[in-house]
Amino acid sequence: MADEIATLLANFGLSGEAFIGLLVIVLLIIGAVVVVIVSRPVLDIYPYLLPNARVRARKGRLFDEKQLSEIIESNDLNEITNYLRGFPDYAKYMDDYSLEKSLDIQLAETYALLARIAPADIKKAFVALAKKSDINNIKSLIAAKEANLDRDATINLLIPSGKLYGTLEHLVDVNNVEDIITGLDGTEYSSVLEDAFNEYEESKTILPLEAALDKYYLENLLSARNVPSNDNTVILYSYIGSQVDVSNLKIIIRAKVDGLNYESISPYIIINGHDIKEWKLKDLMEAEDVPSLINGLEGTDYAQILNETLNSYNETGSIGVFEKALDEYLADYTNSICLKNPIGIGPIIGFLTKKEREIKNLKVIARAKRENEFPIAEIQEMLV
Amino acid sequence: MVEIALGTALAAIGAGVAIGFAGLGSGLGQGIAAAGSVGAVAEDKDMFAQGIIFTALPETQAIYGFLIAILLLVFSGLLGGGTGLTTTTGLVAIGVGASIGFAGLGSGMGQGIAAASSVGSVVENRDMFAQGIIFTALPETQAIYGFLIAILLMVFGGILG
Repeated sequence: MADEIATLLANFGLSGEAFIGLLVIVLLIIGAVVVVIVSRPVLDIYPYLLPNARVRARKGRLFDEKQLSEIIESNDLNEITNYLRGFPDYAKYMDDYSLEKSLDIQLAETYALLARIAPADIKKAFVALAKKSDINNIKSLIAAKEANLDRDATINLLIPSGKLYGTLEHLVDVNNVEDIITGLDGTEYSSVLEDAFNEYEESKTILPLEAALDKYYLENLLSARNVPSNDNTVILYSYIGSQVDVSNLKIIIRAKVDGLNYESISPYIIINGHDIKEWKLKDLMEAEDVPSLINGLEGTDYAQILNETLNSYNETGSIGVFEKALDEYLADYTNSICLKNPIGIGPIIGFLTKKEREIKNLKVIARAKRENEFPIAEIQEMLV
Repeated sequence: MVEIALGTALAAIGAGVAIGFAGLGSGLGQGIAAAGSVGAVAEDKDMFAQGIIFTALPETQAIYGFLIAILLLVFSGLLGGGTGLTTTTGLVAIGVGASIGFAGLGSGMGQGIAAASSVGSVVENRDMFAQGIIFTALPETQAIYGFLIAILLMVFGGILG
């Protein structure tokens, strides 16, 4: 055998050393190809490993149903506050701030954390999400100024989080809303508020300013999502698009209940959602009433959930039932898309959705506990 | 200059492939597991012990590769004694190295990904530890197959005994 190989090599003009050299080169090439092929999926997964472990640890600390029931069964706000003091995530704020403010800070910190640890391909979107803290603070400051609240009451409304907190804290002492907008010169919100200022002056309500900020937030979020190029960005694309869809639907439903027409609604609507395209949005805005709006949604997931809620709306006359149904749909939809990529973006979005839901539920419970003898069964119904 | 037979030189390549690729897989796997564990420990210091256990699991592939490489080096005569291998046996030795090397590469990476996910599950829910260990141990089988075939090749290919 050895002789045959030696003869074969000799026929090719190869010495033993040259054969070994050739063999090494061939092995190196095969090895390099194997390494490149197997490394690609690892390179996609690798940036998500640390953030995922961190968010999953936090997800494990979210309240389960039993704990939430214990909170619901608390007698008053003090009892809830004391209960939350037993959990480090909330305890650190409870001594310095009110219950609601502590919850808002916790949520703002969650946005900030995710913006900090999100991998590069999705970071921009989470940075855009974290702007919610600044936008909420600007809205609170404008509302406080419009209501002529004193300095302490205004500062109490601001959440000590976000990039603009320091600037906004200084703006607490200005005279009016116009001064706040001037004080925000040089920030991305300045032009947004300036554009809505005339409408604010005409309407004498801060609604146009708030709507302009909300619209800017969602448009910014939409532009921050990258064109889907892998599983993670596809999920992010759907997640943000669905948020825009739900936001649009809430605005249109509310507008239709108030009998507003297309021209009045369209400035507040954001195109390029996920399921509801521009032409469909136009049809919805032109719908005569809520039932015809729901009919116009045929072919989308929203038609079924809103149809199921229509009876409840007819009984109660409250559009809150639609908003709750849409919020629940969004939470379930997000949960389903998260399960598609458990070692990528899935756990991050899953945690954020569950955290938002937890904070929303705790605020609902806190509000209910301010009322005397608010029935527990009703609180449970109000939870998302 | 030391004279090395062609077969022995081929066995040396086999030893390099064995520890090289198995070590690569093991290193990548451990890196993946360690990244997940660091994230868990950052949130919960009590996760250190579990993190170490999951991070250590993809070490085995490198151990298999190291063992096979040592055996090849000893029995090919490179590490003292012996008369060296024939060219044919040398080619068998390359097969031995490729067997544990590539099996260890895939197994190590797979185990690392499973370990990182398991760390995430355990930090979320401590009761997941046993299940996490079982899932993480599964990709070990490919390395064991590679190790077994490498041993069989050495025994029946005339390298061992």
